[in-house]
Amino acid sequence: MKYFLRKIGFFLLTLWAVITLNFLIPRLQPGDPAELMVQKLAGKDAQLNLAQVRAMRAMLGTPHGSLWSQYWEYMGHLAHGDFGLSYTYFPYKVTDVIGQGLWWTLVLVACTQILSFVIGVMLGAYAAWRRNSRFDSIVTLGSTFVGTLQPFWIALLLLYVFAYSLGWFPTSGGYSQSTPGWNLGFLYDAVSHAALPAVALMIVTPIGWILGMRNTMIMNLGEDYIRLAKAKGLPDRTVALRYAARNALLPSVTGFALALGGLLGGAILVETAFDYPGLGRLMGEAVANKDYPLLQTLMLLTTTGVLIANLIADLLYGVLDPRARRAER
Amino acid sequence: MLLRKILVTGAAASLLLLPGCAGSAKDAASGGGGKGSGGGDGMVPVLNLPAEVDASVGSLVNYNPYSAKPATMTWLYEPLMMQNSLDCKVAPWLATAYKWEGSDKLVFTIRKGVKFADGSELTAKDVAFTFNLTKKYPAMDTAAVWNDTFGAHATSVTAQGDSVVFQFSGPAVPKFQGIIAQKIVSEKQYGSVGDPTKYIDKQPNGTGPFKVGSFNGRRLELVRRTDYWQAKKIKVSKLVLEGQPDATQALLQLRSGKLDFYSGEIPNPRKAFVSSDPKLNHVWYAPNGITALAPNLKKAPFDDVKFREAMAYGINKQDATLKATYNMMHVASQSGLVMPLRESMLPEPYTAENTTLPFDLAKAGQLLDAAGYKKGADGFRTNKDGSPLTIKFAVQAGWIDYEAMADSITAGFRKLGLNVKQVKSPPDSVDLQKKTGQFDMMINFVGSGCDYANGLGASLETAQFPTKSEVKGNVERFSDPAVDQAVKALQGSTDQAAVKENVGVLAKTMMTEYPVMPILYAPARGIYRTDKAVGWPTEKDPYANPQDAILLIMTHLKSAK
Repeated sequence: MKYFLRKIGFFLLTLWAVITLNFLIPRLQPGDPAELMVQKLAGKDAQLNLAQVRAMRAMLGTPHGSLWSQYWEYMGHLAHGDFGLSYTYFPYKVTDVIGQGLWWTLVLVACTQILSFVIGVMLGAYAAWRRNSRFDSIVTLGSTFVGTLQPFWIALLLLYVFAYSLGWFPTSGGYSQSTPGWNLGFLYDAVSHAALPAVALMIVTPIGWILGMRNTMIMNLGEDYIRLAKAKGLPDRTVALRYAARNALLPSVTGFALALGGLLGGAILVETAFDYPGLGRLMGEAVANKDYPLLQTLMLLTTTGVLIANLIADLLYGVLDPRARRAER
Repeated sequence: MLLRKILVTGAAASLLLLPGCAGSAKDAASGGGGKGSGGGDGMVPVLNLPAEVDASVGSLVNYNPYSAKPATMTWLYEPLMMQNSLDCKVAPWLATAYKWEGSDKLVFTIRKGVKFADGSELTAKDVAFTFNLTKKYPAMDTAAVWNDTFGAHATSVTAQGDSVVFQFSGPAVPKFQGIIAQKIVSEKQYGSVGDPTKYIDKQPNGTGPFKVGSFNGRRLELVRRTDYWQAKKIKVSKLVLEGQPDATQALLQLRSGKLDFYSGEIPNPRKAFVSSDPKLNHVWYAPNGITALAPNLKKAPFDDVKFREAMAYGINKQDATLKATYNMMHVASQSGLVMPLRESMLPEPYTAENTTLPFDLAKAGQLLDAAGYKKGADGFRTNKDGSPLTIKFAVQAGWIDYEAMADSITAGFRKLGLNVKQVKSPPDSVDLQKKTGQFDMMINFVGSGCDYANGLGASLETAQFPTKSEVKGNVERFSDPAVDQAVKALQGSTDQAAVKENVGVLAKTMMTEYPVMPILYAPARGIYRTDKAVGWPTEKDPYANPQDAILLIMTHLKSAK
């Protein structure tokens, strides 16, 4: 019981720290959201119009008063589940704005994550089973190389080759001509727009799974029960899949839960590069516009996602593995 | 200046930046010809413009012109009048005329026969209603009618027959540009919505030339209104606004005809765009104010006018203009006024010619020597007392034209023996330095439009020092009672002779005190194609500033066929 209480206490403490940092970080940057928005609309070769800035400040109700009082106000609103109105999409609520982007990111990122996981785990398992074969060296070396590339860089490369030079795919957006809804036209439109961002994400993300799976699998292959299974004369495929791979998969599954919690982080640059209408691009936009309410809510969403995934993993370990509890004492 | 800024809110947004999409090609292709339909010499079936806002967030649409991001700022709701920032002529729009009765009373005559999209008639009451709404909700008061930001606040705005009368508590001439730019809404629609800035307007009811055809969350199609009050002048049947392309994407789209007009920053547009098809591809950059080098006059040695004079001669403006704008713009006059457009405003003995200072290193060097800034052993000049003199040059990172200007200036100054070091940081943090005053020199924009009080005046008036919370015009922190007096007089004067005299004081101060050193005229960019529509403003026919008067431009466009 003490173990669980401690884990929950730790979770709450981290959550508070995250919320506080969330509040502080945007305010540590220079610049005023109202000035920024007016200047952006006017362009850089224009004098800042004070009347418009004042009106904009009055409209947004941008923070004033001491940092301390702002902090209390912020915590109070948060406690009531009030995330405020987005500056960029004023007067729409932050929750409305996020609701619009959520689906795009969920579909794009969740699909690529799941696919990456499945592909990565399968490749890793096969490479381990055929250890030191040519397949293994190609996969391992290739992974190490590709793993050093940035998804953002890959995105730009894809954009240049397949969108600009060849013109096979649209350059930006989530859709263009069609009306969103369940119709073939829109689905086709959406898929053709999602293809390049998905590929950009898919090139790098399986790497971690491949290498992780291969290593655990190799360790398991050295265990006695594998030798026993082989000695019993079971077919190779059964030994590889039902004995070795199944056990090697367990740590990866935990890792996968954690990865899902943090999936937004990896999508920011790719979504920005393709102007894909998901949460990642929203986050980029919120930073650029100093849209504090939107930025804070998005950061809160991502960080609590990771924290909750962590907590669940911790608690599960406590339940599943008594050694974890004992080690904490 | 003020007018421009407000119009820019709409127009420039449409013309600026960010990624767009391929969608509109089909329309452009299918509608290439001129289907005549009652508009005289042929209609333009469709024009493709960049979206005015980033419309990627699905159904969160809002046409309310007073929201932070109206889906379109230009085509649905209209202003009272429009001032061409180039020749300062005022074009009648929803108001047919205006008159200052003294400097504290302004009367507009409202046009008859103007219809809102729902068919109801615009009256002087709607105009008065709009301005009284801005009294109730200061968040909507972008013209500062009810506070003392530009001149004295209003005490009442009333409809009297066909007229709308603004009564102010004192001289309020500088408010004119803001007032004429305010978008007029109908009492019928906005009378019952509470705080208008928090109202989500999904069924826009404006007086503008277009109405919403369709919007799918990304692509906004606007169709021409046949009952528009000057429908005869609108020859474009459909406008498609989609995506906000960045410079690279815009260039590709412009070249392939997926975009007809753009006002963003494309490097070397003559070579990149015009030369690929000089018959159809055009570019015209109008002078939009002045980009100047602003030293911090609160710091030595910049508080020494002799030092500043030397700086003015030590800037190779021709070279900076070439590198920053590929010679799209012209070298600026030290007078702070755009030449030769405003030559008539200069006092004796100044002319457009003699206010443009040459690049003269020898003269600059002599000035520095004479003023006591001698070269030390290391070849760098020192302060008068012999202490080392270093200059930190705050440069807006990422603004490529500013960076090019900064490089050219730095090279020139170093030849003079001035130890200049560039410190590049994001534009935001350069703005922060404007507020705190912790900088040696930086590149800054100086307004030089038709409102001299809030343009050039704001860069020189003591009251316009930036504060901790606000970036204001007088970044260099120049202070002179005679200038303050002149700016005050400009704010209270509608008489042309008095305006000229007071502008003369400002120009003379620029020529003798060198508070800032103009480098080049800042561009208002117009990059456009003429395969579908012709009639865009050009250097020969500069009827509108291409960056902030697209609505005015629309009334001049007609089919290319």
